[in-house]
Amino acid sequence: MTDAVIDVRGLTKVYRVHERQEGLGAAVRSIFNRKFREVPAVTDATFRIEAGEVVGFLGPNGAGKTTTLKMLSGLLYPTSGGARVVGHVPWRRDADFLRAITLLMGNRTQLVWDIAAADSLRVLQEIYRIPEDRYRATLGELTDLLELEPLLHKPVRDLSLGERMKVEFAAGLIHSPRVAFLDEPTLGLDVSMQSRIRRFVAEHNRRAGTTVILTSHYMDDVVALCKRVIVIHHGRLLYDGQLGELAQRMAPYKVITVALRDGAASAFLDELGTVTSRDEASVTLHVPRESAPERTARIVRDLEGSLADISVEDPPIEEVIDRVFAGERMPEALAAT
Amino acid sequence: MDRYLRLLRLFVRTELQFALEYRVNLALEIMQMVVVAGTSLAAVLILFAYTEVMNGWTLGQMVVLLGVYYIVQGVEELVMQPSFQKFMEHVRDGTLDFILLKPVSSQFMVSFRHFQTVQTLQVLLGLVITGLGLAQLAATVTLTSAGAFAFTLACGLVLIYALLLVLSTLAFWFVRVDNILAIFWAFIDAGRFPIDIYPGWLRITMSTVIPVGIAVTVPAKAIAGLVDLQTVGLIFLATAVAWMVSRAFWKRGLRAYTGASA
Repeated sequence: MTDAVIDVRGLTKVYRVHERQEGLGAAVRSIFNRKFREVPAVTDATFRIEAGEVVGFLGPNGAGKTTTLKMLSGLLYPTSGGARVVGHVPWRRDADFLRAITLLMGNRTQLVWDIAAADSLRVLQEIYRIPEDRYRATLGELTDLLELEPLLHKPVRDLSLGERMKVEFAAGLIHSPRVAFLDEPTLGLDVSMQSRIRRFVAEHNRRAGTTVILTSHYMDDVVALCKRVIVIHHGRLLYDGQLGELAQRMAPYKVITVALRDGAASAFLDELGTVTSRDEASVTLHVPRESAPERTARIVRDLEGSLADISVEDPPIEEVIDRVFAGERMPEALAAT
Repeated sequence: MDRYLRLLRLFVRTELQFALEYRVNLALEIMQMVVVAGTSLAAVLILFAYTEVMNGWTLGQMVVLLGVYYIVQGVEELVMQPSFQKFMEHVRDGTLDFILLKPVSSQFMVSFRHFQTVQTLQVLLGLVITGLGLAQLAATVTLTSAGAFAFTLACGLVLIYALLLVLSTLAFWFVRVDNILAIFWAFIDAGRFPIDIYPGWLRITMSTVIPVGIAVTVPAKAIAGLVDLQTVGLIFLATAVAWMVSRAFWKRGLRAYTGASA
């Protein structure tokens, strides 16, 4: 067995939250007699990630994804359990460890708002003590991949959200980290910028061999980048395995939405799949994944002129995860890694 | 150490570039500073047109005091205020994480990351005014008193830094501490007069709780040869203790922030 870049054993985080009661009286009482409630954020997480892997963390909001990332990047102490990232205990935050990782958050910026990104990058060069030639090489490569040239010398506040995210990536990767934690890196970006960022992450991983852990609730991010996914829900690891298997096993169906022109007969759709919603103008149905192309073709053929629009999609990630959570745990999938 | 100096230089350079981008604003700030310093100097001169001595302070000493006040306030507004202000924003916005993930001292990054470079001018004005006062006092300045001046001034700045660090660290628990700092700025303002002129309770507050009295008044007295070695020793001791306490408190805050102490 090779040495894993990330080795997590029984990682658990319980937050102690101050219990607030309503009313002024309760607020005054609580000054003297504080009640705490224990909220488990991550419970007994165990997994290993090898060098160069791109792993997706999936789960709805509050599932424990960010808490896990924060523990692995050293920002949070776990309540119990252990972890090693590039051979270090993250929360000791050794300089060697910090130089080997990066954390990017889609909704937060590390760049100084009022100055040009190029200046922020220079500061990072000094902080990470990157030799000049390596700095130039890395910046050159990042500039190429992200088309940064026109962005570097503008004050960050003048950049659009998408442009800012590109510069953010440059800032996060300028020290060539071995492990990159990406927390919702495409949050709020338009579709084309999302796919640019995805292409960049894939390309960077291919070229530099960076190990990437990505959280996102855009399924597209995960599909485009991660062969392997880890599903977390209510702080527990529910699934750890191949992405393809997750989609097939957990959501063995596709969602076809048919928009109809006035008064078109749609009764025959019931025979093609499970109709989940229906009104005068549209019908949504679930069909088995493998027969989706054939059924779609049939719908188009049968409806002809009555068909206004049709779409075939994977079920939303929340739905897939809900199914995982609804007791369909798969021991063999968990054991597979 | 070398590296931290290089970083400081880099921080100053980037902030200077930023300041130079807004020339009108820069010019206005400079004008305001000169006017404020000029009028407060004029006020002291007018006051001393009517009297020779105020509560034991001569004209020369008062001018030195004013000069020291601008030096202290200048340094404080040059780096401490902008950096700590930014630190509290970081805590509120959750961007402090980025600083904690850098392989350099977090306390350094929080304390000296941001500069209002224009405030260098206030420090310079302070030096000029101090010089003017010293010219008045020329006869009494000795090598010893000059040394005591520089030493107590340095101690005073460290004391103010330590207090600001402690107040800012409270943000780890309470998030919003801007108001506490507002009180602090008000006290700094009061430092432009010798602490001897304030009533007892306020004098004690200003020299212990809020060390601005020490930072401004003591150096001004020292240059006039009015501070004995014992006081200098005491101030050094207080500074050393304040420095250690503030550092420990900062580390404690950091532990609370990362959930290590829960």
